[in-house]
Amino acid sequence: MIAPSPKNKEIKDLGNVLLNVGAMLLSSGASTGRTRNTISRISDSFGYSSDLLISHRTIMLTISDKKNDYFFNNLKRSAPHGVNFKLLSGISRLSWQVVEEGLSVNQINVQLSRLAALKHYPRWFTLLFVGLAGVSFCRLSDGDALDMVTVFTATVCGLFIRQEVHKMKFNPYICIFCGAFTASLIAGGGLKYGMGFIHEQALATSVLFLIPGVPLINSFSDMIDGNLNNAIVRGLNGFIISFAIGMGLLTSMLIYRF
Amino acid sequence: MEFLLLTEKCIWFGLGAAGFAVLFNVPPKTLIYIAFMGAMGGFLKAILMHFDETNVIISTLCGATLIGFLSIYFAHKTHCPPPVLAIPACIPMIPGKFAYKMMIGLVNLSGNIDHDTYTQIMSETVNNGLKVVFILMSIAGGVGIPLLITRKESSKGMRLRKRS
Repeated sequence: MIAPSPKNKEIKDLGNVLLNVGAMLLSSGASTGRTRNTISRISDSFGYSSDLLISHRTIMLTISDKKNDYFFNNLKRSAPHGVNFKLLSGISRLSWQVVEEGLSVNQINVQLSRLAALKHYPRWFTLLFVGLAGVSFCRLSDGDALDMVTVFTATVCGLFIRQEVHKMKFNPYICIFCGAFTASLIAGGGLKYGMGFIHEQALATSVLFLIPGVPLINSFSDMIDGNLNNAIVRGLNGFIISFAIGMGLLTSMLIYRF
Repeated sequence: MEFLLLTEKCIWFGLGAAGFAVLFNVPPKTLIYIAFMGAMGGFLKAILMHFDETNVIISTLCGATLIGFLSIYFAHKTHCPPPVLAIPACIPMIPGKFAYKMMIGLVNLSGNIDHDTYTQIMSETVNNGLKVVFILMSIAGGVGIPLLITRKESSKGMRLRKRS
């Protein structure tokens, strides 16, 4: 057995930090190229060379020093995907800080835990703004004032239900289905019993707050970057989410017999 | 009057972008930039659509490309990565109406219908579905291509500035 040397401990700590950074980036909605760049930027600044294998939710990392005397090799699975751009931009800024100011591994750890503890927007604020986004989608597809009110109600209720179902730790696609079903049920009720004052646009735009924008755009940028494996997986994920939205919409259309 | 309508659309594009920015939990100080970028991209799309009603795909591509380039400018200003700004800003351009029509068409196709109606619904559904696919691709491409073209240059520029 080899006695633990200071160098050995340093490379182990650095490797663990890098895996943490990578897992946080992947789960908060970074593309594969961005994750790879950030990790190699940090490890380069410490003078180690890094090799990575990144899949949809797992990172495999090997770092070694220049003479290949010491190396670290490990695997980490990231948390389930949920978009959090505050964390993403924080880590990107942190990686430049490491390069410029030469932070130590402990300092990086402190910064990471600070970033992970950053608060989301308050719940009412999110609900309000996403409701307003739904209103603007409705207006952009030529909806009237009453349609806009219906869409606002539908979106706020749908997002609320989706968050509640998410808290119960259901499958993510089922969360999306429940959100789409609630929103289209409310908008469809308006369409069916609104005596012609509420139009089809309300139903069409009520589920738009669920669209998988981040998976689809990340899929495309991975595809151009050459990470075809991840691009296909992300694209398929976006496709299943769209399918879940469609199922929710269809279920309420079946109920109202449109 | 036309100009007023276009300006009104700008406001809605910006508001939609800001709503998605809140859902994606962006840093608070970037919200106003994202709303501005969404409004500008939407404005370009609306103007191009105004001149040529049929070409929704090319108009969306131009709007998304404008958002991509603006995101790089504002990324230097706010010290955030460009995708953080670009992704929420281009989401209001996603074609909800066409996707909905395609969905309705698919449901109708799976029912029991006679041959003539089938052909008519089929052609409408394929038309709407292809529009959805191409618009989505042009949004992703329009945002992605400026990022990919300039990302290497900008990060190289950063390094050069820092070493000297």
